[in-house]
Amino acid sequence: MKLTVDERWDLIDKIAKQTVKYGKYRHTLKDAIAEITVKPLTGIPIAIAVLYGFWSFFGAFAGFFTDGFLVKLFDNHWLPWLQEVFPGKGGWVYYILVGDPMADNCFEAFGMLTSGLFVAIGVVLPAIVAFYLFLIILEDSGYLPRLAVLVDTVLHKIGLHGFAVVPMILSLGCNVPAVAATRTLETRKQRFMMATLLAIFIPCGAQLGIMLEVIPGYVGFVMIYLLTGFFIFGFILNKLIPGKSPEILLDVPPYHMPIARNVRRKLWVRVRSFFTVAIPFVLLGVVIVNIMYLTGFLDWLANLLEPILCGWFGVPKETVGPLIAAFLRKDLAVAQLSAIEMSTYQLVTSVILVSLYFPCVATFAMLIKEGREGGWKGVAQYLFGSLAALIAVVFLWGGLVHLIWIILGVA
Amino acid sequence: MKILLMGHPNVGKSAVFNRLTGAKVTESNYPGTTVDYTKGYMRLEGKDVEIIDVPGTFSLEPKDKAEEVAVKMLKENRDSVIICVIDSVKLERGLYLALEIIEEGYPVVIALNMWDVAEDKNIRIDVEKLENILGVPIVPTIAVSGEGIKELVSRIKEASPIDIEKIVEKAGGVEQ
Amino acid sequence: MGWIGSPHMDYLGGGIMDNEVKFMIGRIYFAIFGLVVLSIGILEILLSLTGRSFEWGIMEMSGEFLLWRGLILFFAGAFYLPSIKNFTDIHQLAKVVMASVMIWIIAGVKIFSMILESIPGEEGWLNTFEGFLESYSAPYIPSLFLLPFSLVVLYYIRLSGEMLRGGRR
Repeated sequence: MKLTVDERWDLIDKIAKQTVKYGKYRHTLKDAIAEITVKPLTGIPIAIAVLYGFWSFFGAFAGFFTDGFLVKLFDNHWLPWLQEVFPGKGGWVYYILVGDPMADNCFEAFGMLTSGLFVAIGVVLPAIVAFYLFLIILEDSGYLPRLAVLVDTVLHKIGLHGFAVVPMILSLGCNVPAVAATRTLETRKQRFMMATLLAIFIPCGAQLGIMLEVIPGYVGFVMIYLLTGFFIFGFILNKLIPGKSPEILLDVPPYHMPIARNVRRKLWVRVRSFFTVAIPFVLLGVVIVNIMYLTGFLDWLANLLEPILCGWFGVPKETVGPLIAAFLRKDLAVAQLSAIEMSTYQLVTSVILVSLYFPCVATFAMLIKEGREGGWKGVAQYLFGSLAALIAVVFLWGGLVHLIWIILGVA
Repeated sequence: MKILLMGHPNVGKSAVFNRLTGAKVTESNYPGTTVDYTKGYMRLEGKDVEIIDVPGTFSLEPKDKAEEVAVKMLKENRDSVIICVIDSVKLERGLYLALEIIEEGYPVVIALNMWDVAEDKNIRIDVEKLENILGVPIVPTIAVSGEGIKELVSRIKEASPIDIEKIVEKAGGVEQ
Repeated sequence: MGWIGSPHMDYLGGGIMDNEVKFMIGRIYFAIFGLVVLSIGILEILLSLTGRSFEWGIMEMSGEFLLWRGLILFFAGAFYLPSIKNFTDIHQLAKVVMASVMIWIIAGVKIFSMILESIPGEEGWLNTFEGFLESYSAPYIPSLFLLPFSLVVLYYIRLSGEMLRGGRR
């Protein structure tokens, strides 16, 4: 026999009456704290403090390892040693692996074993560890879902509910698990929107780390610019795409002390996946761009795209190399940009371009995988939809930065 | 025999799973972390038994993709015992899913997780009486610290399919 | 209702001071502290908006993110202030706790970055001893001075916990 929904609830009601006693409910301090962290009037100031702490911790931790030790290790010891002992100076193998024999720092050397390793281990690894450490503590303490409740109102305006903040925050670590996390959204429309917006607008932890190293004073501007884009284009997509955006009630878990063992375990799992997934792509990216340079393909492409790059976006045509590298790893692309001669404003523009333009290959594969639920038609919808959104965003939102600089008179 | 871990999102299924298998699934304090299922093995009376951490679901009528996975897992594993993890603070909501699974004819064990939070909120659940009405083993647990997990394991063998009419009868009937 | 020696508080006993006296002290303490925090917050916001900095003995208000620190202190001060009216209420205590946590965050990351900056050297791997000590020298940001005074809240968290448990008996 099976019960109807009403019968089942009636049965539960009867059972609960006989077995559950609700004692006099006293507000504990924990409850009261839980309450004021979600009420906007008190919750937003607290969120500002938490984000300030997040940012300062991130900067101090990454700076300690990168500027304090790893830059010295790579620039003063590893690079000169490699330039000295590596055979075949001037040959193409030397160029691909070590890069410019005259370079005095790893940002400008461009070799796989110099720039490649330096970006991956010297800059991005400390940033990733710092980011995940803080994120995991926020996760386990129960603060993250409260942040979700706080941003619920804003997200509703673009047809998403507060729950969507979970993939958003995961995305700040890495876009790949974030795209997977869009599965918790109800409708296909919401999933597609969120996956596309994430892949385009949210920079990952690796990219954040390198941005902090290359344009420390402008990271805040870039983030605000990208997030504004996220909401504006989210609003537009919500109007354009057919489908429903139903509401959901968000369950907020109780606060509890993060458990050291669990934090350690999660940190290890995420850092390990960085070693196995990210580092090979960084190294491969250096090799591919170097080969394109050696064969002259890069110059040809740079000249071909010059009108668009210089005219529309106002950046030097040499940025074409990093833009290709960006398809493999965005962190690598930002590092390569910093070695190209251009003004700070052009650098900021090109960093924004790198963020907006094509999702990295791992995210791209994940988008295809998520699109598969609708068969080949689904994949095509996901891909072409994302691509159309992407091209529109790159030209409009990327061109707008250039316009801002022109208006400010600094372009 | 297989064991399936089911329950609402964010009731601590992954924490229970880790306790049972010693595995390293990431536990997070927000709903919807497990969007795919995870398999593991646990020792039960000297044998290795497969155990699956199913994504959180509110009911057996799926509303999103993660829930679809959950329902599919249940249908594909007819020979399994279900450990239904319930948030003790929200007993009623958890029982709804548990009853649905019982009605489908699966043997069920209930873990009343987050027992400490319920105590903090002064919610008292009469476990003996609840067990008596439902006819399935019920164990209070605090998965993050491991309390009650051993008892949970030892009572898996007591699980057997229960006729929903018996439950209705013991509870004092339902209104039609 | 008088606030000294109410008989129903007696079973908590033991202490020299009655709990209500302790809470009265807390009420005044956090109201004054809140006013100080609020003023520093406003001052920091004004300084950062006008692009100036301020040094007073061993205290300085300058540096990166001054505006954000000012905002956070401003809100923390605003959380403390209503204590004068209803400090015994658990919701106000929660606000006092969170205001203190906000100060701990600013001071905590500052101390954390001071420690990290003191270890590596300019050129060599490790800092010289003088350089190491210099990293910890004055001036300091206001939150470092506010930190010890905000720790008083820990005492009141314990006290309210005891009262809650006592009340359940």
